[in-house]
Order: sequence, then structure tokens, then C-alpha cells
Amino acid sequence: MSISAGDRIGSLGKLRLIARLSGGLRLLRATSAGRIAGLTALILILAFLSFYPLSMLLYGSLHSTPPGMAGTFNLAGYQDVLSQQSLIALLNTVGLALAKTIPSLVIAVLLAWILARTDTPFRGTLEVLVTLPFFVPPILTAMAWGMLGNPQVGLLNQLFQWVTGSSVAPINVYSYGGVVWHMMQYSTPFLFLLIVDAFRAMDPSLEEAARMCGASRWRTFRTITLQLMLPALTSAAILSFIRGIENFESPLFFGSPANIRVITTDIYDSINQRSPPQYQYATAVSFVIMMLLFLIVLLQWKLLRGRSFITVSGKGYTPAVIKLGKWRWATFAFCALFFVVMVVLPVGQLLIGSFFKFFGFYQWDMLTLEHYRAVFASSEFWRGFGNTMLLGLIGASLTMVLGGMVAYISVRTKWRGRSLIDAMAWLPWMMPGIVLGVGFLWGFALLPHAIPIYGTIWALLLAYISLGTPLSVRVMSSAYAQLSFDLEECSRVHGASWLQTMRHIMIALAWPSFAVGWVLIFFGIMRELSASVLLYSVGSEVLSVVLLKLWVNGNAEQVSVVGLIMVVLVLLFRWVQLKVIKAHISTL
Amino acid sequence: MSNVVLEKVSRNFGEFVAVSGFDLRVNEGEFVTLLGPSGCGKTTTLRMVAGLEQNSEGRISIGNEVVSDASRGVFVPSERRRLGMVFQSYAIWPHMTVFENVAYPLRVRRRPNAEVQDLVTKTLRLVEMERFAQRPAPALSGGQQQRVAIARALVFEPKVLLLDEPLSNLDAKLRLQMGDEFRAIQRRLGMTTLYVTHDQSEAMALSDRVVVMDRGRIQQVGAPEEIYRYPANRTVAAFFGTPNLLDAEVEACARIDGRRVRLDVVGQGWRGSCEAADEVRPGQAVTIMVRPEDAHLAAVDDNAGERELKWSGRIAQTIFRGATRSIVVETDNGRFNVDAAAFVDYAIGDSVNVIVPQRAAWAVPRDEAAS
Repeated sequence: MSISAGDRIGSLGKLRLIARLSGGLRLLRATSAGRIAGLTALILILAFLSFYPLSMLLYGSLHSTPPGMAGTFNLAGYQDVLSQQSLIALLNTVGLALAKTIPSLVIAVLLAWILARTDTPFRGTLEVLVTLPFFVPPILTAMAWGMLGNPQVGLLNQLFQWVTGSSVAPINVYSYGGVVWHMMQYSTPFLFLLIVDAFRAMDPSLEEAARMCGASRWRTFRTITLQLMLPALTSAAILSFIRGIENFESPLFFGSPANIRVITTDIYDSINQRSPPQYQYATAVSFVIMMLLFLIVLLQWKLLRGRSFITVSGKGYTPAVIKLGKWRWATFAFCALFFVVMVVLPVGQLLIGSFFKFFGFYQWDMLTLEHYRAVFASSEFWRGFGNTMLLGLIGASLTMVLGGMVAYISVRTKWRGRSLIDAMAWLPWMMPGIVLGVGFLWGFALLPHAIPIYGTIWALLLAYISLGTPLSVRVMSSAYAQLSFDLEECSRVHGASWLQTMRHIMIALAWPSFAVGWVLIFFGIMRELSASVLLYSVGSEVLSVVLLKLWVNGNAEQVSVVGLIMVVLVLLFRWVQLKVIKAHISTL
Repeated sequence: MSNVVLEKVSRNFGEFVAVSGFDLRVNEGEFVTLLGPSGCGKTTTLRMVAGLEQNSEGRISIGNEVVSDASRGVFVPSERRRLGMVFQSYAIWPHMTVFENVAYPLRVRRRPNAEVQDLVTKTLRLVEMERFAQRPAPALSGGQQQRVAIARALVFEPKVLLLDEPLSNLDAKLRLQMGDEFRAIQRRLGMTTLYVTHDQSEAMALSDRVVVMDRGRIQQVGAPEEIYRYPANRTVAAFFGTPNLLDAEVEACARIDGRRVRLDVVGQGWRGSCEAADEVRPGQAVTIMVRPEDAHLAAVDDNAGERELKWSGRIAQTIFRGATRSIVVETDNGRFNVDAAAFVDYAIGDSVNVIVPQRAAWAVPRDEAAS
């Protein structure tokens, strides 16, 4: 049943496309005033969230003085970009992104294959465990690894010295290797999540047919399995590469101390670490990185044109599971090791760090609870905690509502202007958090004084919504796409108005996806650092900013405490999310 | 109950004409089937009646109320047309129970709770699903989903019932059973029904009248027997079963009664008489349709009777089909399909005569598309 419904959507889609081209005028006549007003409002909101900061970036990059001051228009910012230093930063950015994508992809493919196509024991649990690092804020793992791999007092080096008796410290996270290592921490589970469904959803009869035609196991893998996976793998790798370019935490924590500069930290430094701040240079560099990302996205379109993801139906297939025999314990150990290194080590470091008096000195008499007392007595912590929770709740809700509307209009209607809406909602995808932060910094500063957003938590809220919208649109689009048009049309024919249909059918059916997307956006807000660090001011700090401040002040012990609290929150939300997925999404 | 009238209804998708100049009057209580191959425009026509698609030209009225008139810009939205519809996928809402699915049309019309209870229970009993009322919708089999979909379409006593290939997702046996059940319910309620299918046997078994469509146009409208027996053209003839189509030329023409004429025709190596709907001038080319079940085999020395047609040939193939045996005879006019009794003694290579009564041979104009 699900398959035939899908077919009908496909053929209808084609007709709809044709209808769209011809029916413009007639549709306009059928357009009610209410709909036009709603669409206009939506376009204005999206324009404020994407076009506005973008145009402010352009303005800023051509203007000689900081926001709000009299100045002249010139190209000095772009001239500075052409320096040798910036070129090195650019090369570092691309090189690091490449260097982390390749090993991450290899490990992710291996994990996906193990967990989707083999009979490794405890696959269900392992899958939850290996994806966990994706949900832990990178700022936490960065700090934990900063402690673990510290060349002087890091736990790993201490362990090495204790075991071997030598006095050399082999591990130094403040290096290219450290940056790559920390990026992998996040990008491996990210890639795994993107490709595992392609592994799982593949119809085994496609492979069996090749075997029946006389192809060997290896030839089948090469000519069928891999070819079918290729679009999914390429697309995931490019996405991961883009994330690598946008990455801020890893180069900030491990690159900057070793004087390894990338574009995102370059933008941050030129605004926060120089005096006077070099706004024009920062905005010009922001534009350069966006152009770079735009080129990559173009390349992606060109590469993947006409080759879609394998249609994930999720139903009816039992993926061919390979019996590994004794080797299944080896694959089990591989997954378990991944979890231990990526989660247990850093979280364990936070746990240990939070109970000892001084970071790096682990003796029994140094055990203490004073860091917990200090954190819970700190008004700054509570303010950050409150702000993060408030922004998370409001931000995730608003983002999902906005994404739900945009997705509905672009997936389910033939309304005019919906491709514009879709494109505007997608635009922030190409803007790294730090770039969007710079854009909004200018944007808010130039707003009339009657609209006091600058320096308040509403500035952060708007930036979070903008950053989260592309993801929420994607989540809701795929949720709507799974619902056959019949379900909606059936309701209309049987007497329900558009609004009633929305309430009883569409929202009622899509809410589990909404909830899952909501938690994802909430995670995104909780971990966001790069835009927050530019847009916060006293009173509107969020947890990640509080952490960064503590870290910069050398207070690694309290960092551990706050970090642990965040980990607990992450586990809690992830647990709720999995519950919702299990209870509601699998049954639909 | 209401009638449905479509006048000069057309639908274009850009350059593509899905439905063109569609004229049909469905009377109150009548069961009319739109039949045709996929892409012939039958579903588009049904969706225009439902208001899910807007007609580019023409006028549609339901129960003497104009619901869509392209020239005057009238368009009544789906939910105000008071229709019941069964979708091909059934469109059972997966987040509701069987009861809630069926109650939906009443709930959106804000009927009092007691009435909802009463009507839903009654309708579920009609489709023999009352035991499943509290079952969640995803836990139903295909046949059960179909019953729920029918109950939901009937529950608020709609003006007209629309069905879009409702049986196509069921297996063959269930399809027959549900079709019969459905026809019985429809007769009992006397509901005006518009039904879409690509399955000719379904169309013949269920309908009062069949509308045969092809490439967006009506080919023929009539009772199932009439369309099967007296197709208007080659397309309609070929659509039902696997008829033998023979080319011939008309020699003489005489009227039998108001509906039929007798033609004397000559083909390649044979001549004889057949029937047709309209007079044809001598010398014109026609296509003669002979259904396999109307032909029978005879020994070579057996001559045709006075009112019979005869072709000679050799048996090329015999296929056992259970109730009948399909025999293919290679004649000078090409291959001839004959439905014989299941257990006859013919071997491949036997020489036989194919005998057909004259009144079972039906001539249709030889149209351009056929040549």
C-alpha cells in the first residue's frame, strides 16, 4: 500500500509541476487575501533572518568604520584579505576540513556497515552509543580533550609516563593533529547518521539479483552496493566538509594556542582580540568564506544532479544481514572502543576533574566538592543556565513552527512564491555561525533605537532561529513528504476546511517529527558558541559563553562541573527524543 | 441523492490535455464507471468532480447546483460539495482508530455526539466492521481498510459517492468479493456513484453504465453488455478481452432494424456477412471483431452453415486455462483466437475450420490509429 501511494505521489508530482506552470493566473484568482497577507508576513520574517544580515555583511565589508559611525566606502577590507596571512588561514581551513572528512568517512562507513548489515551483538544499543558524541556540545569535548591531552599535565600523558617510566609527553592536542582529532569527534557520528539509513534501507533483492546474474560477492559490492551508495556517500562527505570549514570550536581551542589560524578563528580574533576591532576585515573575510561555501554547494549540485538518494521506504525490507561468526565480537569491540574513546574518556575526564582540587593533580587528599558549591553559588552560572534554557525552549519552538510552515508551503502547496520562501529559509545553511553572528552584529547595531535588540538575549534568539531554520525545514519537509496527498485530500472531500485538515490530519500526523526536530534544534542552541560569543553582552550570557569565560580564566575545575551538568541535560533530551521516535515514528 | 452533470469539461496541464470535451449525465441512483487505460484522464475527471482539481473549461453540476464553471469563475471547494470518496490508497488516517476515521466527516460537521455514535455504529455494521471499531487504523488488512474507507465515505449520506480504483490494491479473490459486496450496498442505498477503474471485468460486473475513455476523450457510453457486444470503434473493441480483429471491405449494406445493419464483406480469402451499427458505403474498409468465445472449431470437411462465417487453418498453440482452453489457429488472415472447451482433443498442427455465427461478427470503422 505504501509503495503504490508513493508511486502516485511521484506521477502526481509531475502533473503538479506542469499544472504549476500553466495555472499561475487561475491560482492567483483563487488566492484569498488572507493567504497573501500570511505569505507576505512569512517572507518578511525570513528576509529579516537571512537577507538582512547578508546585506549588512556586504555593507560592512565595504565600509571603513564600525557599525553606526560615519565613514567612507572602500575596498580596504578585501585588500587585507589578499595578504599572505589570510591565504594561510584559507589553506588551513580547507586542508583541515579535508583531513578530517576522509578518516571520519572511513570510520562512519565501517560503523554503518557493522550496525546495519552484520549480526554484531547489541546492535541497537551500540547504535545509540556511537551516535551520542554528535549530541554532546563540541565545546565540552574540546575542553575535556584539552585536559586529557594537555602536554604538561594531561591524563593521557601522565598515564603514558607512568606505564613507560619515560618523561616525554607524546600527546599534544595543541596541534594540527589535535584540531583534526577533535573535529572527527563530531563529524564521525554526523556522517554515520547521514549514511546509516542508506545502508539499512537498501532493498536486498537488488544485490541478490546481481548474485543471481552470476556476479561474485565482491563484484556485487563494487558494481551494485557501492554504486547505489555513492550519491549518499558523496553528499554526506560534502556536507561534512562544509561543516569542517564552518567549524569554530576545534580551531579555537586547539589551533589558536599553537598559532594555527583558520578563517573562522580569524574572524573571531579580528573582532574580539584586536583593538580596535577590525570590523571591515572581518566582514570581508566572512564574505570570502561564504563564496567558498557557495562554490562547494554548486559543485555538490553538479555532482549529484540526477542522482538521488536511495528512496528510503523503511518498510518491507529486511536488509540482508551478514553472519560474521566469531568476528562479530571484533566488530562489537570496534564499536565499543569508538564509544569509549569518543564519550567515556572525555566525560570521565570531566567527572574526575570536577572532584579534585586542582586540575592535573590527582591524589586522594585532593578530593573536594568545593567546585560544585562554587558553581551552584555562582550567579553567572545560573544566569547562563536560565538564558540557555529560555532560549532553547523559545528558540526551538519558534524555529520548528517557522520550519514547519516553510516546509508545508514548499512541499505541499502550489502557491506562488514558495520557491522564494524555500530559498530564503535555506540561505543560512551557507553561513557559518560566526559569519551570521557578524552579520547580525552589524544588523542590530544599525537598527533604529526604537527597536532595542542589540545586546539583549533577543539578538541571540534571532540568530539561533536563523541558524536552525534550514534544519527544521528539512526535518518537516521529509515528514510531510512521507504523508500521502490522499490523506489530506480525503479530509477535504469529506467536509473539513483547510484549517480543520491542518489541525486534525497534518499536525496530528507530523507532530512526532516536530518533536524530534525540536530536540535537534534545542541541542543546536545549547551547543552554539560562535554566534553567541559575538552577540552576547553582560546579562545575556548563555552556558557555552559562561564555559568559555571560565576556561579562558583557567578555571578548568568549574568547567568540568558545568560541563557535567550539560552532559546530563544532553542525555536527558536524547532519551526523550529516542522515546518519541520509538513510540510514534516507527508506527507510522 | 443527486445527479451529476458534466458539460464540455476539459482539463489542461500546460500543453498536455488530460481531459477534453467531456459530456456526461449521471442520473440519480445510477452507478457509472469511467473505464480506460492508465493516463486516459479518468482519475482527473473524478478529481474534477471532487473539486480536487479545477477544470480548465466547461461546467460541472451536482444535484442541479453548479459546483464549477470555468467561464464564470465559479468553484465550490471540495469540502462544500457534500461528497463521499474512496481513494485508491484508502487514505485511512493512521493516527486514528477505525471509529474515529469513520466519525471524521460527522465531527467536522459538528454533529452531536450521540448522533455520531449512532451513525458510525450503523455504518460500520453495514460494512461488517463493527467489531473493529476501537482498532487502531494501521492494524488493518487491505480488505478491512477498504471497508473502513467505504464506511467513511457513506457515513454522512453524501450526495454522490466517488471511488478511485478502490479495488486495485486487493488480491484477485478479495477483489471479486469486495466488488460484489460493494455493489450490493450501493443498490440497497440507491447512492449515485461514479467509479474509476482500469479493470474491464470490474467495470462490467458493477456498473449500470460504462464510460470508456482513451487519451482524454470519451470513446463510448453505454450499458456493459452493449459496450462489450457492440463497441463503437476499434479502441473500445480491443479494450475488452482479446478479440480477433480482421480487416475487410464492404460489398453491400442493408438495414436490419433501428439499431443494426447487415454488411456483406470480403476479406483476404473469405467473404460473408456481419453486423454493424451504422450504414457503410460499399467499397469502404472496416474492421471485423470476433470474440474468441463466439467462435468454435470444426473438422475441415465440415462446411459452414448459411448464417455462419468460416476460416481454415492449422492449430498453432493450445493453452489450458482451467475453465476453457485457448486455441490459436494460424489462418491466411493471421492468427485467430478461439475459446474451446477445456478438454478437447486438438493437437498442434491439426487442420481445422473456425466457424463464427454472423451475428457474432461486428464491424467497426477502420480508424487511422488502428492501421
